[in-house]
Amino acid sequence: MLAHQGKSVEEVLNLLTQYENCKIIAGGTDLIIQMREKRISPAVLIDISSIQELKEIKVDGPFIEIGAAVTFTDIVESPIFEGNLSGLKKACRLVGSPQIRNAGTIGGNIVNASPAADSVPPLLCLNSILVFRSFRGIRQVKLEDYFKYKQKLQIKEDELLTAIRFRRPEGTLSFSKLGLRKALAISRISMAAMVKLDEEGTIKDIALASGALGKYPMREREVEEFLLGKQLDVNTVDEGLKILREATDKRLAGRSSYPYKRRAVERLFREVLSGVVA
Amino acid sequence: MIDIRLTVNGKEYSLSIEEDKRLIDVLREDLGFIGVMEGCGEGECGACTVIMDGKTVNSCLVMGFQANGKNIITIEGLAKDGKLDPVQQAFIDVGAVQCGFCIPGAILSIRALLNENPKPTEEEIRESISGNLCRCTGYNKMLEAVERARRYENGA
Repeated sequence: MLAHQGKSVEEVLNLLTQYENCKIIAGGTDLIIQMREKRISPAVLIDISSIQELKEIKVDGPFIEIGAAVTFTDIVESPIFEGNLSGLKKACRLVGSPQIRNAGTIGGNIVNASPAADSVPPLLCLNSILVFRSFRGIRQVKLEDYFKYKQKLQIKEDELLTAIRFRRPEGTLSFSKLGLRKALAISRISMAAMVKLDEEGTIKDIALASGALGKYPMREREVEEFLLGKQLDVNTVDEGLKILREATDKRLAGRSSYPYKRRAVERLFREVLSGVVA
Repeated sequence: MIDIRLTVNGKEYSLSIEEDKRLIDVLREDLGFIGVMEGCGEGECGACTVIMDGKTVNSCLVMGFQANGKNIITIEGLAKDGKLDPVQQAFIDVGAVQCGFCIPGAILSIRALLNENPKPTEEEIRESISGNLCRCTGYNKMLEAVERARRYENGA
């Protein structure tokens, strides 16, 4: 195996074109385990964790761009995600342990994503765009589509995920997670919501996304459609829960974990919607 | 082989390592810092915790070549001029150690916390060692040790 500590994006793109069977490593928290278990054996390992431009969080007018090698700790410590974006901070704070959050990156959470990747549901609610670069150019893909049409849209051999980009929302983002225990737990289910209410408490804009309630993290479009324009109150939440369960019944029926998840999702759904008001 | 240069416990090292070595292997085998423990080898137990550029990481989940240019602190680097770090002294004085395997990692996690936040809440202390599994003494003694270490640092 060859190893390169990348110094710039250009250099990495060059290596990706030059060699076959390359693997990008950033935080290493998933990849090193996969290599040791011989599930992958890259010919060339390219480290991007020391490339400054991939480690920056940039605010560009209404847009926020998170570099792919930004760690969970960087997000937790950044003042940019205070206030109505604190749901993203909360999701990142609940990842693994301090050591994992100090190494693990947002880009890795996406391209290596398990259905339970914690940072993904909040990013789905923000209508995030993934920015891939290669010598062929720049490719931008909606995060939602990236999981939905994985076969067609997934990262190509010569591409590098450089950033995640979204527009600062007007509404409030919240996040809830159910793990088997408090520390270090991988999510059993997670949920994020972005809701904008008017003065009367009517839902003017909504995005709802789930983690581990399907093959991949996804937007819960049927629930969103139902909630839009309604008053955010107990009745609406009760009715919304029924619609969420109808959707998950279709996706998950027959799975051994589903009877548990079907019950557990209620608490998460209520919590995440109350989180957008607080 | 790949050439790397890194600083460990204030001293600079230049060496040639195999590409597939992890940081823990480089620290233990090439440089002799055997206070870095290997427990699970998959980032769950924290026994291999080191401080890299001010932040704790599991050295079993960092490739050796990724540490090129980094500044690393292991348990061997905490004592200064023959005097133990206040956190180390406090662990001994309150008896927060039994088998000792998790202790280098736990102490480094606490050291990193106190460096950034000299007055942590109990919640913050518990969070800081949530990635360091201890299965003998347990965590209450460690919390006590942090209290004691803070008193030592304030000269009490």
